[in-house]
Amino acid sequence: MIPGNKDNRDGWLFSIPFLLVFVLFMLFPLVYGLVISFFRWNILSDKVFIGFQNYVNLFADEKFYTSLWHTVEFVLITTPVLLVLGFLMALVTTSKSPLRKVAENVFFIPYIFSMTVVSTLWAWLFQKQYGLLNKVAGLFGIQPIGWLTDPNWAMWSVCIATFWWTAGFNMILMSAGIKQISSEIYESAKIDGANYPQCVFRITIPLLKPTIVLCLILQIIASFNVFGQVYVMTGGGPFGKTRTIIQYIYETGFSYFKMGYSAAMSYILFLIIMIVSVIQYISLGRKSDE
Amino acid sequence: MKSLKRIAVVLLVLCCMTSLFAQGAAEAKTSGPRIVTFWSLFTGGDGEFFDAIINEFNKTHTDIQLKNDTVKFDDYYTKLTAALAAGNAPDMIVCHQGNLLNYVSSGQLLALDEYLKANNFPVNDFVAAPLDACRFDGKQYAIPLDVHPIIMYVNTDLLAQAGIKDIPQTMDDLIAAGMKVAEKTGKMGIDIDNTTAVYKAYTLTRLFFSFIYQQGGTFLTADNKAANFNNEYGYKALQALQDMVQKYKTTPAGLDYDTAMNEFKLGDAAFYFNGVWATGTLEQQAGLNFVAIPIPGFMGKPAAWSGSHTLAIPAKANIDPEHVKDILTAIEFITGHGEMWAKAGHVPTRISVQNSKAFADLPYRKGYADSAASAVAPPTTAAWDEIYGTCSDLLEYAVVNGQQVQEALDLMEKTVNKIIASY
Repeated sequence: MIPGNKDNRDGWLFSIPFLLVFVLFMLFPLVYGLVISFFRWNILSDKVFIGFQNYVNLFADEKFYTSLWHTVEFVLITTPVLLVLGFLMALVTTSKSPLRKVAENVFFIPYIFSMTVVSTLWAWLFQKQYGLLNKVAGLFGIQPIGWLTDPNWAMWSVCIATFWWTAGFNMILMSAGIKQISSEIYESAKIDGANYPQCVFRITIPLLKPTIVLCLILQIIASFNVFGQVYVMTGGGPFGKTRTIIQYIYETGFSYFKMGYSAAMSYILFLIIMIVSVIQYISLGRKSDE
Repeated sequence: MKSLKRIAVVLLVLCCMTSLFAQGAAEAKTSGPRIVTFWSLFTGGDGEFFDAIINEFNKTHTDIQLKNDTVKFDDYYTKLTAALAAGNAPDMIVCHQGNLLNYVSSGQLLALDEYLKANNFPVNDFVAAPLDACRFDGKQYAIPLDVHPIIMYVNTDLLAQAGIKDIPQTMDDLIAAGMKVAEKTGKMGIDIDNTTAVYKAYTLTRLFFSFIYQQGGTFLTADNKAANFNNEYGYKALQALQDMVQKYKTTPAGLDYDTAMNEFKLGDAAFYFNGVWATGTLEQQAGLNFVAIPIPGFMGKPAAWSGSHTLAIPAKANIDPEHVKDILTAIEFITGHGEMWAKAGHVPTRISVQNSKAFADLPYRKGYADSAASAVAPPTTAAWDEIYGTCSDLLEYAVVNGQQVQEALDLMEKTVNKIIASY
């Protein structure tokens, strides 16, 4: 606000276009979602108020827990790997290597593809009988692996595709963070005789901490919302072994049209993500203050 | 401030003018052919045959034009339901018979009786069973386009190589034949998909369902309120499906729908189970010699899971009878050209088509047209889609992992009853 200017009507005026869209497409659906979670409703029929019944059913629903676990499994696998991968990529792209520009492009290009493109591509690579991976493995006499149809492999295969797809995003954030670290610090360290690992562990990582925390929070939220890759690559199979919570929410809502139940599950997921984020923010935020 | 107002006024006037022009354009359109929009879901190899009928219609009609939008089967009902809820559904829709109930009970479909009568629609030319299946509370809500039971495809070359002369008629014969093929030719004996990939392992559910009816049982109780398969019928059915994978190894584990189809298409499998819609794709494969027949009564009498595509009209306020007449003209034409649709493999519903020479001249189809007689439609309940999808997951687990059959049936019964109670 301009100092001395108490008239903020123009402020409101300029905010209106955004506020309208925000209220209409974000706030309203959010509140409406909470409302329908107390109803039994299939979109086409009249809503029937059932109080907390959807929430009660949900906590007795085994499929809800297994789907939630698959999501957590995905979060636990992908978050550390994607952070480390992103960091290593960022080290390469901020190094003095002549290949750093090429590397930057190679690392980032997968991220600009749409989910469907990436998933379809990897689904073909992973295909058991005709897929490239098994064809190559076959040259070495390895029996074909059901990458997407073997319960022990399916989740890992989806994770591998996700690594390839999204690691580049973390790289961009981290390399921006690394570039902000003053080169003088590195120079003086070198004069004092520090070697490369010492520079990375004693300078880069500590000074990059705010960026790492940001990446961690974003990554966990993104991983919690995993759906597209799984849906396209495995359809949640084999026998629901890779069905994630978002897929279950989608299925109950848009295949079986149990809108209330679906909304209730969404709110529980929202609560979980919020709690995780708050815990992270508080615990990690405090440490970086020290 | 003043100039701002002026700009606002100019903008407003411009907006009004463009909408006026748009109105004019819309009105001008009515002098051309009348448009009937509709959505279909044929992406499983049968789409091209459907498009051919639409093209034929548009070529032979100058006053009415059909505008078709094809939506992928998996997303079709999501899109359709959303459109119905929002009130912008197309003029005509394709709907599986099993999905009609949801839309009828919520008043989304137009009751057709008075329009059928007024337009002399040839209802008597339809096979009774599928037509009656589209009747709810005595009213006709849809017109059946086809019946599509699950059938058995047999690779005759592989049978000859294995020295099998007769097509097996009992489960023991089928297993024996499957093992003999595997032993003599090294190819797959019995080709039944059992793993989720792009599609769930629906074939398992379809066969489990069929085998129960073959023994005289039913999948759900008569009032559709509870599971009815946790008994000797269900036990025998699941045991047979599991034994193919676990005991006799005539079917590999981890086989998904597309791979199963490809294996048979490439001549690498002897007995293949899928819906009739695979026929059109399979017969295009050069060098593949096969027969397509109704599933024999492996467990008793012949009976096979069957679906039916129907054509329906979404109910809209103040619907114009003339428009309904146009839509019915299209429906009459599409069902009347069932021999074109039969090229995809589906069994036509018009008696005149079934008796036509064009249909008789198609290979394979006559062989399984009778299977419509032993076709069993899924139970009419709003919970069916969820039961179908969930049972596919559970059967997949049971078959691939060799789960105790009784344990699997107990779990399935419990799950299905819980699903029904939740609707």
